[in-house]
Amino acid sequence: MKIIVLIKQVPDTTEIKLDPKTGNLLREGVPSIINPDDRHALEAALRLKEAHGGRVAVLSMGPQQAIDAVSEALGMGADEGVLLSDSAFAGSDTWATSFTLSRAIRKMDGFDLILCGRQAIDGDTAQVGPQLAEILDLPQVTAVCGISSFEPGASGRSQVLRRVRGGYQRLNCTLPALFTVVSEINTPRCPHMERLLRACKTKTAIKHWNCADLGLKTQEVGLAESLTQVITTFPPKTRRKSEILEGDPRSVAGQLVDRLQDNKLI
Amino acid sequence: MLRSNSEDLIRKVIARFVDQEVIPVAEEHDRKGEFPVELFQKLGSMGVFGIRYPKSIGGSGGNTTLYCIIAEELARGLLSLAGTTAMQCLMGTDGLYRFGTKDMHETFLKPALRGKKIGAFQLTEPEAGSDLGNVRTTAVQDGDSFVINGMKTWSTSGPIADFHTVLCQTNPDKGLKGLMFFFVPSDIPGFSHSKRFETLGTRTTLLSEIYFNNCRVPSEYRLGQEGKGLKVLLSILAEIRAMTGALALGLLRAAMDASLRYAKERIQFGKPIGKNQLVQSKIAKMAVDLEASRLMVYNTARMIDSNESCLHQATMTKYFATEAACRATDEATRIFGGYGYSMEYPVQRYYRDSRFLLYGGGVHEVLQTNIAKHYGL
Ligand SMILES: Cc1cc2nc3c(=O)[nH]c(=O)nc-3n(C[C@H](O)[C@H](O)[C@H](O)COP(=O)(O)OP(=O)(O)OC[C@H]3O[C@@H](n4cnc5c(N)ncnc54)[C@H](O)[C@@H]3O)c2cc1C
Repeated sequence: MKIIVLIKQVPDTTEIKLDPKTGNLLREGVPSIINPDDRHALEAALRLKEAHGGRVAVLSMGPQQAIDAVSEALGMGADEGVLLSDSAFAGSDTWATSFTLSRAIRKMDGFDLILCGRQAIDGDTAQVGPQLAEILDLPQVTAVCGISSFEPGASGRSQVLRRVRGGYQRLNCTLPALFTVVSEINTPRCPHMERLLRACKTKTAIKHWNCADLGLKTQEVGLAESLTQVITTFPPKTRRKSEILEGDPRSVAGQLVDRLQDNKLI
Repeated sequence: MLRSNSEDLIRKVIARFVDQEVIPVAEEHDRKGEFPVELFQKLGSMGVFGIRYPKSIGGSGGNTTLYCIIAEELARGLLSLAGTTAMQCLMGTDGLYRFGTKDMHETFLKPALRGKKIGAFQLTEPEAGSDLGNVRTTAVQDGDSFVINGMKTWSTSGPIADFHTVLCQTNPDKGLKGLMFFFVPSDIPGFSHSKRFETLGTRTTLLSEIYFNNCRVPSEYRLGQEGKGLKVLLSILAEIRAMTGALALGLLRAAMDASLRYAKERIQFGKPIGKNQLVQSKIAKMAVDLEASRLMVYNTARMIDSNESCLHQATMTKYFATEAACRATDEATRIFGGYGYSMEYPVQRYYRDSRFLLYGGGVHEVLQTNIAKHYGL
């Protein structure tokens, strides 16, 4: 049994600061972390491995510093890691990213399940998982919040719980498949010191692939192959309007409730 | 070959643990004065307690530098948690690791490294603080066992520990040369402890007196040779002092971070208080102290890791970093003005906690004498 988990290294903040002139992300002083949803995906994979045996591999595409995300995943219990890093990958949109990841997955030998986080806190697109499933021609379930049965093998199948607006769906799915998970699926474990130290050693099971290793030319990846191109990024203009409610406490409370209701806040 | 730097990676993982799991509950644990069981067990499950032990006995295969990094980060969040962690990583388990039998490793050490059992370390007695030659707890051989009688005080984790590394006197005529360590599990007949002490700071650390009333232990519970107790202590003393320096460094960082933030935010006379030169002077001194402490702590740790003798460097490190932390926590309470006196802000806790660092690992009057001795005085 083998599970591949896709992890992305992202800046540890939900309040992304942008350079007002260039529109680029200001990363200075902001530590990088494994994208929160991806951590839940890895935890789900590790629990399936504990129940069914097999191996868990993590795959990440990013700059060389993203090696830390891969090492940390090994520290949590993944057996092997692959980092896709090449200056040619820079500027990839979700399509180019999914395409590049799919080539790496074809190069890794087989899998029963691919797990991704639902979305990354920096890009917020939630597109890579679904696109990857399409490219690899796999059944996909998004926003998975529980895996109630998992039977890998020749005619493998799994039953999952999926979060939908206002409720849940229970679904059967054949394997191999791709699931994207949401945070309520589990509480991720902390990495173990011994495993972290092992992940830093040269003989650890981390592969580092570039464009050529995937059999791709530089013009087939990155910005060149992206279907979308970002023109500018800019923070929203927030306009605050303040209003002082006047009167005795009872009437002020009444007015406040009216305002909240008018604005559909309660 | 592209690989993560182990020191950076471990710092990052522990820093995140501190920011997400320790800091949000630190004030509450301190206020209630309770031992943070959950955090302690989590550190165990992360392999933190085994950081300086080899993998063969359930350790994580790290070294003193990594251990100091962890101590520094934890101290930034909650000094008492960092202190009990130090006890579990080093003083409370090292004798057991070095002199314990395979059986003792299975029964006590391995569970302790996973956070399932707690270890404590007993030197201090009412009449033997800095003066360890005056230890009066006796161990007397009787057949193939030893009988221990006496009392210890200031035992970190004493009321909750499962086992103790106890400094005993086997030959009262010999003073320092009659000392020997023994391993004592808490569940043997004749063992008891007092109620926990009320203390100024590090309030989640549980301290008590420990009593031995005819406690009989088998001879394999001797930790080291007869009369070599002081030598055993000296063999980890540099590490104890480097670690205390790392705790001070973490606390200093917490005090400086809080001070800096407040100096930028607090507006008086129409400008941030940090725009006043006297406040800038305080921050500048903290920054210099921080840099110097950091260099000293990690220089000493690297010397320990490369087996260089460095008790002198370690002594200076513990002395300097602790004094620097005490200065910084004091200044922090001034930068905060009246709010530094309020239980709502953590700077009062940094100030109270800093005092703990003055005593463990040697009081500073004695340390200064030791430092001077190095220069022939
Ligand atoms: C929070 C906390 C936790 C502790 N945990 C432990 C533990 O787990 N295990 C353990 O064994 N102990 C522990 N201790 C005890 C600690 O190690 C002792 O407090 C320390 O060794 C000093 O001993 P004392 O307090 O008896 O001071 P004393 O030795 O009585 O010294 C008092 C003062 O006298 C002066 N003085 C003494 N001797 C000299 C000298 N030679 N030259 C100049 N001045 C001198 C100094 O000003 C000194 O501060 C802990 C203490 C604290 C506060």
